Amino acid sequence: MNVMRRHRTRPDADLAARALAGDRAAMGALLDRHYDLMFRVAFRALGRRDAAEDVAQDVCVKLARGLANWSREGRFETWLYRVVLNAAHDAGRRLARDGRLRDEWAREPRETVTGSDDDRADTMWRAVRRLPPAQAEAITLVYGEGLSHAEAAATMGCATATVGYHVHAARTRLREMMEEEAA
Amino acid sequence: MTDELDLLRGAKVSKPDAQARARALEAGLAEFDTVRTKGSAAARRPKGIATLWSDLMHRLNTATSPNAIAAVLVVGLAVPTAVLVMRDDPSMPQIELGQSTDDVAEVTSRPDAPDAQLHQGPLIVDREAVTQAPAPAEPEATPAPRMAVPETAPNVLRRAQESEGIELRATPSVQAIRPSENGLVLLPHPTETYANDVSAGRLSVLEDPISTFSIDVDTASYARLRRELEAGRMPPPEMVRTEEVVNAFDYAYPAPDSRDTPFRATATLTDSPFTPGARLLHIGIKGYDLPPEARPPANLVFLVDMSGSMDAPDKLPLLVRSLRLLLAELRPQDRVAIVGYAGAAGTILPSTPASDRQAIEAALDGLMAGGGTAGAAGIEAAYALAEEAFIEDGANRVILATDGDFNVGTSSPDALEDLIAEKRETGIGLTVLGFGTGNLRDDTMQALAQAGDGIAAYIDTLSEARHVLGLEAQGALYTIASDVKLQVEFNPAAIAEYRLLGYETRALATRDFDDDRVDAGEIGAGHEVTAIYELYPEEDRPLRYGEAATVEAADAPEELGYLQIRHKRPGEDESRLIATPIRLAEAVPFAQTSDDLRFSVAAAGFAERLRGTETGRETDWEALEALARAALGDDPDGRRRQLADLIDLAGALDR
Repeated sequence: MNVMRRHRTRPDADLAARALAGDRAAMGALLDRHYDLMFRVAFRALGRRDAAEDVAQDVCVKLARGLANWSREGRFETWLYRVVLNAAHDAGRRLARDGRLRDEWAREPRETVTGSDDDRADTMWRAVRRLPPAQAEAITLVYGEGLSHAEAAATMGCATATVGYHVHAARTRLREMMEEEAA
Repeated sequence: MTDELDLLRGAKVSKPDAQARARALEAGLAEFDTVRTKGSAAARRPKGIATLWSDLMHRLNTATSPNAIAAVLVVGLAVPTAVLVMRDDPSMPQIELGQSTDDVAEVTSRPDAPDAQLHQGPLIVDREAVTQAPAPAEPEATPAPRMAVPETAPNVLRRAQESEGIELRATPSVQAIRPSENGLVLLPHPTETYANDVSAGRLSVLEDPISTFSIDVDTASYARLRRELEAGRMPPPEMVRTEEVVNAFDYAYPAPDSRDTPFRATATLTDSPFTPGARLLHIGIKGYDLPPEARPPANLVFLVDMSGSMDAPDKLPLLVRSLRLLLAELRPQDRVAIVGYAGAAGTILPSTPASDRQAIEAALDGLMAGGGTAGAAGIEAAYALAEEAFIEDGANRVILATDGDFNVGTSSPDALEDLIAEKRETGIGLTVLGFGTGNLRDDTMQALAQAGDGIAAYIDTLSEARHVLGLEAQGALYTIASDVKLQVEFNPAAIAEYRLLGYETRALATRDFDDDRVDAGEIGAGHEVTAIYELYPEEDRPLRYGEAATVEAADAPEELGYLQIRHKRPGEDESRLIATPIRLAEAVPFAQTSDDLRFSVAAAGFAERLRGTETGRETDWEALEALARAALGDDPDGRRRQLADLIDLAGALDR
């Protein structure tokens, strides 16, 4: 328990280094610290609690295995966002193949197994999930996670201006979708 | 909409379930234990991605130079093709656009059009030598076909292994193309990824038959990379934007005859000097050049950064000299005002007729650097002056000159962009001129100029100022077509893949093409805009789903694709469409294309080489320089010669 407490205040890079050296508690602390992020981002991407839980678990497993791939040059979270987004993307494709996601998207807002506290916002997030992937990612990172365009760009692996473009394009599209919804 | 988007921000995701969380951590730690115990016995299982990756990079770095990366990519590329072109030389067939709204342009066909192999000998380093370099990832180079994988942990591992194969085979640039499709991610090094992600990769015609983008006439990237090279440094890849390097030069594309036709587009199909078997589709757009007497009066407000950092010979003094140059171009009916911002923003010169040179020059001479930057107040003051002196049907524009310190106080860059876009709606544009190096925020410059329908130019020498403000000023000031979007639909029976050189920050969604609300680039009077596609006859990777996805090739398709350009006339809300098919029969061998075309291709190749894209990374510096030198044409201002010298310099630095 003491170990856990000490770990709780260590920076990500420190924890990651320890985990790589075999420190199980450090690995645990790292996963614990970021589980909420994984769940949150996956939920934004998929709109389903069960699917988001699956993705978050998936990511925990991947991190345990692939931590060495974090280059340590940027923020840990920048890299983690990418891992989660990719995992969510894959999960989304599997769900879409099964037709499950379409059912979810087709549902009325009130019937949604809601993860957010506002119907209107819920509707908007559902619209976000229908955006082209890059736009949805940009919105998820900038609006959902409060990242700056530069931080989002680091995760998305593109220029900052490109994030601005995606956000702009997404806004335009979202406006249309919300108008359609209203009509 | 803005408030609605705030809803997105406000929406909280409810707390994750504690049990799910515990399960996930447990699964992660179980995996951790597995990796730990088995990890020591590396021989018993495949290496981890990181190890393979670093092995690969190590071998590439030590053994063979960057060209070995090319060797990996080369697998499965390169098929000879018939080759095509048209343009410029009157004997060439031409596709000309712009005669009227939906006129399909006339295509004169070339009597002796070549129909066989006309390959010109690509600018490639010795491929034999390269391929014989230790082929690093060969065993992994044939990934197992991807399959649907259930979500249990062991299969996650398995997917990881499949991804390893794909990852390694792909090399960074392929990864950059579709990061989201790499099941597992695990980007090698962020810096590396960034560098490669700067460029878009090939797109499959089957998957993405339609390429849509907004035109761009910015040139800032060229001046910046030139400065880097002249300082003896290779410019970082993310500094290089291919379209800006290409568009930094003047090209004598055929111009439209009257103002009723705002621009004319000329499409040329030729063979690629960069990639064996590939072709180039070259699109040159020339805006109608207003004769000086026909130019509407200009109402210009210079918003000058006078912060302490501007106190360097290549900043404020250069700016003052540059503005003098522009002043010389103005006519009595034009108006000039100057606002400075540093600490507090202030009007230095109220709107003054250009005929009152004395007052304007005195104001310019009085510009002194000092103090912090309060850009927000400055920009508001500038717009207020522009509105006060607003000229109906004139060129109303704020010209922001800065070394990049866009200190906008409490308002966010987004809000600044919104303000600029809003003012653009009222008819006041924004041009951004960058000076000096250091904290120049290139992306911000871009974003602001895009919002203001203006150019973002970088000025490092007086000759660049002359180019940007003397000649280009006409184009920058007088918009003749706005929201210009270009769309090419490729025929999958004719080519398999394509790659647009540059324009990454200008990509549009297919549906945005027909959406008149989606903002796009402007063409100014006399401006030339060039876009170049590289086209590939075959996929460079095996199709994931095998043959099923290939197209039943109708024998010998006639059309390579269909080019559409949408634009609005100034002041109109509805766009006009110009369209024409691009016919395969009208190709021209590269050696027979115009100097202008070949020079623009050399400029593009230079940019792609600096970025290390798949089009550019194999090209040889000397061959590139020779290509540029052979296409100098008249070169009245020596700018083309300068590019050839830069290629030479880059080649020397790269050694």
